[in-house]
Amino acid sequence: MRLQIIILFRGTYRIFSLKVDELREEEEGKIWAIGGGKGGTGKTFLTSSMGIYLAKNGKRVLLIDVDIGGANLHSFLGINRPRKSLTNFFEMGIPLSRLAVNTSVDNLSLITGDVHSLASDSIKFTQKLKLFRHIMKLRRQYILIDLGGGSHNNTLDTFLMADKKIAVLEPEIIAIENMYHFVKNALYRKIKMSLKAYGFKEVVEHMWEQRERYKIKSLKELIDSLKESFSHLGDILDKELSDFKIYLVLNKIRSSQDILIGSSMKSIFNKYLGINAQFAGYIEYDDAVWRSIRERRPLMLNYSLSRVAKEIGVFTENLLHEREMKVSRS
Amino acid sequence: MADKTLKRYFDVLEISPDASVLEIRNAYLLLKKLYSTDSVVISPIADEFSKKERREILLQVEEAFDKLMENLKNKQNERHHRIRHQPSASVPAGEEDEDVSYSGLELKKIREKLGVPLFEVSLDTKIRMELLKSIEHEKFDVLPPEVYLRGHLINYANYLMLNPKKVAGDYMARYESWKGGKKGGS
Ligand SMILES: Nc1ncnc2c1ncn2[C@@H]1O[C@H](COP(=O)(O)OP(=O)(O)OP(=O)(O)O)[C@@H](O)[C@H]1O
Ligand SMILES: [Mg+2]
Repeated sequence: MRLQIIILFRGTYRIFSLKVDELREEEEGKIWAIGGGKGGTGKTFLTSSMGIYLAKNGKRVLLIDVDIGGANLHSFLGINRPRKSLTNFFEMGIPLSRLAVNTSVDNLSLITGDVHSLASDSIKFTQKLKLFRHIMKLRRQYILIDLGGGSHNNTLDTFLMADKKIAVLEPEIIAIENMYHFVKNALYRKIKMSLKAYGFKEVVEHMWEQRERYKIKSLKELIDSLKESFSHLGDILDKELSDFKIYLVLNKIRSSQDILIGSSMKSIFNKYLGINAQFAGYIEYDDAVWRSIRERRPLMLNYSLSRVAKEIGVFTENLLHEREMKVSRS
Repeated sequence: MADKTLKRYFDVLEISPDASVLEIRNAYLLLKKLYSTDSVVISPIADEFSKKERREILLQVEEAFDKLMENLKNKQNERHHRIRHQPSASVPAGEEDEDVSYSGLELKKIREKLGVPLFEVSLDTKIRMELLKSIEHEKFDVLPPEVYLRGHLINYANYLMLNPKKVAGDYMARYESWKGGKKGGS
């Protein structure tokens, strides 16, 4: 498709003709990864819901399900498991754009993973890099990646690649613990990868493994001591870590008191781990969520006026506009 | 105070420099509670995140809040000062010059604008709820003796970050005139 632009300039016409696809290409692809460590916190539900919300608001959205254990994003969208999956990309080199299937929502498509294609160690680092390269090249406004649970290296690397790193948690201790674990692992990996090109990967590993000897208690102290010992790393680390920003989403809250957990986690990430974190929003617990999943009728479509749907809209907007959830004390 | 220093205080409280008074207060209260109690978000990392570190954070939070409040008060005073020194025919010399006079209703309006419920004021100022209500509704006949009343007004005014002298002055004047009226009437 071509688009013609006519410009009137000093009495004469100039006609420019542009391919629309070229225009689209300029809209930088925005990759959001949704993870968080603990299973069952609502990552898949939120990924599907955000996708529907964005698509309903005129964005072109692609969802990618890379959940190693159980790719089930399709059921949350009320469709059957697509026959094509990422396996076809890895094993046959079929381009990602041909693996995407349409959903019942306009402008929303899906690429699904499957148990074999991404099983823990079956994909090699180079394959992974190839996947990332292809994801980044996709011409979609928004690409939402459902990471599934756990802190496996493949999961962490995908998380680190994303433009927006979204971590989902529930207001309960195991989810909080797993989230610390997940974010710390991601940060450690980020530090290592950032310094790899400078030949410092092993140094980082050594310092962290022998941290007692070096009197290092936390990753923040690791970073500080790296900067202190090797002053040339200071700027590099600052620059590399500046885009390590976590967007927290708190799901399944049951009281307004629970909301404080979101702001609290954000503060601890900032003050203790030295990580830039933002509390993007919360979603309350509502039986309608699992009912709609069971009935395969997405809540965002069938209960679009519910509070949960509104809350999803709010935090998706917060993510789009880099806004923080405003929390008032209750 | 230099903008940079101020910005740092806002950063400590994790709010943006255009935060309202209420946001500053809420952030302060949240952080204070967070780092002084063993909550569910601290316990998973309690062994690596020492009490000492948390105490240091608490001190920073405390300092940031104090400094930001101080800054706000100074700003307010500056504003009063400017107004006072503007030559104005309508304001008699020596008199307080703000356009508002602090009645009970006025205090109530300001509190509501800040979005603070009475019970919160009561929690923070230790003034009983009933008494706060009576102050706001000017139920002069149930208010405590004058020195106490004045003390409570100063306390409340500080809490709302108003000029305490002016608040107590305005309010007591209304109180006096009510007392005068009562005497005259009976
Ligand atoms: N806000 C909510 N209110 C009520 N139930 C919810 C809510 N969010 C999610 N659930 C329920 O929690 C369960 C887990 O949700 P979901 O599958 O999205 O989690 P997940 O994080 O993707 O899990 P996994 O780690 O296994 O991939 C589902 O049964 C879903 O119905
Ligand atoms: Mg899932």
